[in-house]
Amino acid sequence: MIIIEKATGNSHPIEIVPVEITDYKHLTKKRYFFHWKDEKKFEVYKLRIINSTDILGLISLERIPNEWRVHIRLLTVSVENKGTHKTFDNIAGNLITFAAKIAILEYAEMACVSLRPKTEIAKHYIEKYQMTATGITLSIEMPEILHLINRFDHD
Amino acid sequence: MTKDKNIAPEFGVDSRYTSKKEYQSEATALMEARLQRMKGVSKDDIIRAKLLQLKLQMQEFIKQTTHQKKHYFSEFLQQYIDSIYSKRAVFAKDIGITPVQLSQIINNHRAPQDDFMLKLMIHSEMIYKNVCTFQKELWYQVYFHEKLCNTMATQQEWQSKLEKDVVVSEPILKYGKK
Repeated sequence: MIIIEKATGNSHPIEIVPVEITDYKHLTKKRYFFHWKDEKKFEVYKLRIINSTDILGLISLERIPNEWRVHIRLLTVSVENKGTHKTFDNIAGNLITFAAKIAILEYAEMACVSLRPKTEIAKHYIEKYQMTATGITLSIEMPEILHLINRFDHD
Repeated sequence: MTKDKNIAPEFGVDSRYTSKKEYQSEATALMEARLQRMKGVSKDDIIRAKLLQLKLQMQEFIKQTTHQKKHYFSEFLQQYIDSIYSKRAVFAKDIGITPVQLSQIINNHRAPQDDFMLKLMIHSEMIYKNVCTFQKELWYQVYFHEKLCNTMATQQEWQSKLEKDVVVSEPILKYGKK
């Protein structure tokens, strides 16, 4: 998986690994928009460039086996990667793809990833990631989930 | 419009349910909609999903550092064949071995030879071409990782048995720190 440095167009290989307990003191609301400490009891992962310790994005997940679903509770990019002047592209895409890979790994053809963005930004997720809306819930399933993984994951 | 312009869609999403009731009602609606959509998923897409799952399972396995004595290679091989073929004998024919030879490998009565491994790599390259990226050496990585895991899982058995047959006849200090 890679992210693209917008200024140079260079790609950087990334890894998404579990957040360690010592990371939480650096996960401030100022840089990562939410109170990440509240997620301590859930599955929380961080995205970083390989061989770097700087956390560029975070995702908190909940596996719901009886629904063959992985629900994205919380997702964010670091403040410098927000908006049109962001440093790196594809951070959110890689994090959603990571959730999609867990869903496929667990549930194969039944896999589903869900999230509930605000109404104003739902359209963006539908268009960019081919998600489907059911009420306020957006989800991605077969076959779109496979297209998403093939788009972002080349491992 | 002004509001939309100021929204940076990808800074984050907070999807946490605020109550059990909220979760229940949304989960029910989503499941109903999904079950409808699932009816439209083609047989080919189901096979693709199973093959992608297999690749991810194999990648997870080679990352494992704990040692358990289990036949991962043959289980993954079985999963691979059964995802694509309705009869294992057809796979055996496709890679030029007998059904008996294949059965022996799957049931761990015969170790896979290099020829089999190479044909399996070629076969999976052909299959995964239409599914996702696939590093064909993954089969070898799984095979050797399993060997390593099994060796370390049974260390107590073989070490005590073989230790008496191993000596160091050269003075050890020759290789030690000065």
